[in-house]
Amino acid sequence: MKSNPVKSNSLSRRAFLGTTAAGVAVAGLAPGALRAQHKRGGTFRIARGHGQTTDTLNPGTFDNQFMNGLVYAYGGFLTAVAADGSVIPDLAESWEASADAKVWRFKMRPGITFHSGRPVTPEDVVTSINFHRGDDSTSAAKPLLEAIEDISVDGNTVVFTLSAGNADFAFIGSDYHLPILPSKDGTMDWQSGDGAGPYRIVEFKPGVSATVERFENDWNSNRGFFDRIECLAVLDANARITSLVSGDVHAIDKLEPKTVGLMARNASINIHSVAGNQHYTFAMSTNKDPYTDRNIRLALKHAVNREEIVEKILFGYGYVGNDHPIGRGQQFFNSDLAQTPYDPDKAKFYLKQAGVDKLSVELSAADAAYPGAVDAAVLFQNSAKAAGIDLQVNRAPNDGYWSDVWMKEPFSAVYWSGRPVEDSMLTLAYSSGAEWNDTFWDNARFNELLVAARAEIDLDKRRAMYWEMQEILNQDGGVIIPMFANFIFATGPGVVVSDKFASNWDLDGERWWERWSFA
Amino acid sequence: MGKLLRLIGQRLGLGLLTLLVVSVLIFFAVELLPGDLAEAVLGQAATEETVAAMRAQLGLDRPAPVRYLEWLAGAAVGDFGNSLVTGDRVSEAIGERLLNTLMLATYAALIAVPVSIVLGILVALLRNSLFDRVANVLTLTSISSPEFFLGYILILYLSVKTGWFPAIASQTADMSLGDYLYRTFLPALTLVLVVTAHMMRMTRAAIINLLASPYIEMARLKGVYPLKVIVRHALPNAWAPIINVVALNLAYLITGVVLVEVVFVYPGIGQLLVDAVAKRDFPIVQACCLIFAATFILLNLAADVGSILTNPRLRHPK
Amino acid sequence: MLVFVILYYGVLIAASCAAVYFKQTKAFRLLFSLTLISMVVGIVGGATGLRTIAIAAGILAAAVGVSYAFREFLVQLARPSLAKELRTAPLTAAFGMFVIFVYAVAAIFAPWIAPFGEAEVISSAFAPADDMMLLGADQLGRDMFSRLIYGARNTVGLALAATTLAFLLGAGTGLWAAVRGGRFDVFVGRVVDILMSVPSLIFALLTLSIFGTNLVVLVLVVAVIYAPRVFRLTRAVAGNVVVMDYIEAARLRGEGDWFLIRREILPNTTAPLNAEFGLEFCFVFLLMAGLSFLGLGIQPPTADWGSMVRENATLISFGEITPLIPAAAIALLTVAVNFVVDWMLFRASGLKEH
Repeated sequence: MKSNPVKSNSLSRRAFLGTTAAGVAVAGLAPGALRAQHKRGGTFRIARGHGQTTDTLNPGTFDNQFMNGLVYAYGGFLTAVAADGSVIPDLAESWEASADAKVWRFKMRPGITFHSGRPVTPEDVVTSINFHRGDDSTSAAKPLLEAIEDISVDGNTVVFTLSAGNADFAFIGSDYHLPILPSKDGTMDWQSGDGAGPYRIVEFKPGVSATVERFENDWNSNRGFFDRIECLAVLDANARITSLVSGDVHAIDKLEPKTVGLMARNASINIHSVAGNQHYTFAMSTNKDPYTDRNIRLALKHAVNREEIVEKILFGYGYVGNDHPIGRGQQFFNSDLAQTPYDPDKAKFYLKQAGVDKLSVELSAADAAYPGAVDAAVLFQNSAKAAGIDLQVNRAPNDGYWSDVWMKEPFSAVYWSGRPVEDSMLTLAYSSGAEWNDTFWDNARFNELLVAARAEIDLDKRRAMYWEMQEILNQDGGVIIPMFANFIFATGPGVVVSDKFASNWDLDGERWWERWSFA
Repeated sequence: MGKLLRLIGQRLGLGLLTLLVVSVLIFFAVELLPGDLAEAVLGQAATEETVAAMRAQLGLDRPAPVRYLEWLAGAAVGDFGNSLVTGDRVSEAIGERLLNTLMLATYAALIAVPVSIVLGILVALLRNSLFDRVANVLTLTSISSPEFFLGYILILYLSVKTGWFPAIASQTADMSLGDYLYRTFLPALTLVLVVTAHMMRMTRAAIINLLASPYIEMARLKGVYPLKVIVRHALPNAWAPIINVVALNLAYLITGVVLVEVVFVYPGIGQLLVDAVAKRDFPIVQACCLIFAATFILLNLAADVGSILTNPRLRHPK
Repeated sequence: MLVFVILYYGVLIAASCAAVYFKQTKAFRLLFSLTLISMVVGIVGGATGLRTIAIAAGILAAAVGVSYAFREFLVQLARPSLAKELRTAPLTAAFGMFVIFVYAVAAIFAPWIAPFGEAEVISSAFAPADDMMLLGADQLGRDMFSRLIYGARNTVGLALAATTLAFLLGAGTGLWAAVRGGRFDVFVGRVVDILMSVPSLIFALLTLSIFGTNLVVLVLVVAVIYAPRVFRLTRAVAGNVVVMDYIEAARLRGEGDWFLIRREILPNTTAPLNAEFGLEFCFVFLLMAGLSFLGLGIQPPTADWGSMVRENATLISFGEITPLIPAAAIALLTVAVNFVVDWMLFRASGLKEH
């Protein structure tokens, strides 16, 4: 019921480089799913597991998937992410960067209007982006735009000047906090709900529903097939399932792994499971005892039964992790790195190395961290017992988990939605001093490699560096990553979905609004 | 009667004082909870800078007593402020949801109260019979699982398997009353099942407790029908505990149904409070809590007045 | 199949005839109505329906038998004065006492009765029941039966403590306020209004952030949440008693508040309080589970029934009985406790029937 402040939301979308690497999308489970031609028309209803009464249309405050999805329907963006993970034009029809990637020029598509009929101007882009910048900005996207030194308008082109080169800057334009909205009195007017996306808002009731209608003058006639979409916030998993089964809605998201198998018995429902880079972790603060000792960390890493966790928490909808955040489908995934096994004897050996016989630690978890976090912690407790580790599970309240437990308690459960690009994920959570370095890990060799790899052009050398980084994390890091979890959602009869799902977000990269249709 | 009116007046006055105390308590409770609005709204995107900027914008950097007094000054003239998160008027944010909650509570209460009192009288009349046992076992069983679980079972059998009622009580603006009653039947039934046992058993207990009294014996010896003995002679003296339990359950129907709202996707005030607490959105929390407090105060007052009205000794003290 | 049906009716009709022969009208009525119902069910539901009825009747008969025997057993053990009382107890009360006895045994001897540890993961998730696991496995592959047994140990004691404390607090103040009256009464009444007004969500989160999470805090929180309800009820019932003439007489005799409460008022208010106790006791299980989901009190992997229902509640929508098992455990205890309460109520009322 709590919002799940999804970490990947805000920081760098530089992520989506290396498109082929973007997680393997498996449309598994549903051979019957329709793959026919898209047809226009119809009212599409969807029940989503997010959405709060405190939601607003202010893009700087978006923090859940209900709003994340909605903004892609009504808002136009500078750029977009395609199903294959590459960056494609949206309101900007093309862009170019200077040789040092410090100056970026986005050429605006001509003749585009907002839903209200007002033309979209380069000035709107400037006010929309500036809305998130500046000292008194409270936008969640502020850190994302920190590198921007100046934004100016040059005819039909918007020019961004950065303080440091960033080859992936175009990806930032697709971040869901950054829709281009009309400006009023020199600032962005988000209150009106006007936008330049394929659908316009008819009604928005926070925490209840959002209704949108197709925008007739959308510049791209090859998207947005429904006439009308009703998006309901249905937080209860059971209510979502029953509403799909009874035909009340056409699609639902966030299925509980433990009931997916039971649900699959119903032949009229198509279940889609998409493997991405979303992973669930246990983070140890490497600056606090006893986790300062590498042997203790290794002992804990060998004391968790990963296969069992994947089987009982994800019910197979996911795969085993190897204590680094790089997914199996990614370009620089280290396929030679030996999987850390569940080995109580080895764990005992490392405890002995650390000079202790018995280890007693407390692991904090709440289902706000990720669904099943408390159960996963209990499984960990059980498997660690065999290694002579007394692991106490502390069920923390969901309320305030991210502000009071995460990065405060020395050992806690964490959710990362992952980045398809290695550099951004590693920088975000494992580089020394990073805001979200939740293991407070500082490894000189790792930091050095990270900087070098970012600038390295030679693919083989780069791969070697990333492989080494994964190995360092596996051997020395403060994070235990037992599992990578799939996105699981379902559609009812008569819904045509994409041939291949995007894996950067849930529900086809949150682009179901424009990619799906009725049969 | 004059004394009763004076009591009501006095209690309403004290009620205002109680509300004041509640508002202070809630304010400082929300203050004391770890984390604040800025941190909660910004979530994991909270950096020291953005948090500080947001606090400054919303005035959260000023001392707590000052903020409370400001809120109080507004509330005194009927202005409960704006939601700190959405900027909407509190009255707007709450209005429709409060109405929904009240409607569902009324719906459930109109079924539950008569049913449980009549059932209570019947089982007191037929005490220790098979009917008594079965009615007790069934109602007790229905309160032995969490209310949302009861909701799931009702959905399974009355909606998914039979298709008799909709599983989701979603609202549309142009619904007729009949439509409304049909669409919200399952949540109402869930609530009825949750509160019936308590009221029924208290009715039964209060009546049976009196059945051995000399005046009842007398009535019975005079040959009055058993049902009449109970309704005419026992019930009037048994009202006090029954009224209190009824008031307690009515209050529950308004203040305690967040899980039922979630299960049936019914936009009531419970979910609003839960979300507002999570975001530390004080004006909304405060308004919801004051509504709940007023509910308790009024229902408790009604119960006390009811107890007095039904007992001549209390009505005319020596 | 045919053999079963013929045997079924044969036994029923023979038993009915036997009942008539021995002039057991009550038994005859019961048996023959069962025969008639069976015929209807048999036509509608076939042999499966009959089987269900047979099983239900069998369970009921077993329950009656056990209750009867258990009552005799208690009568034999008890002191003569108590034995006399017990002999008048209805079978339902005996059944209630038997269930409570079984739960108590399960709670006290949990580690010896339960085949596995409460946190021991022994199989795959939701493994079906077999010879080793009587009730199958839960979502993590722990033995359901063992967790139920441990759940009795972990929850019943806590629930009892919390409910008792709530009653001591609530009923104590309620009686006192009724006797003292005046400003004290008004003051306590308003404090109770305030306590009831603070939503339990906020109350629980606040307690959690101040006192942290432990069982004592949990019991206290539950007691504080329920005490106002008990107060309201006690105050209302006692209010009716306080104005009676005999109280006036006692006051004129110069008796103190304490004497009045103990000797005059309490005996006349026990019935509604008993009834309330029976229900609150059950509510407490559910409240404790709710609070432990907020992070307060019972921590995983400790088994408690309320949480066991909650964790797997959605499975019921697919017809899986996993969450029904702990719910049934709570329901059985609730029914049992209330059967006993009914008997006590009946005794306290002084009615001489049956």
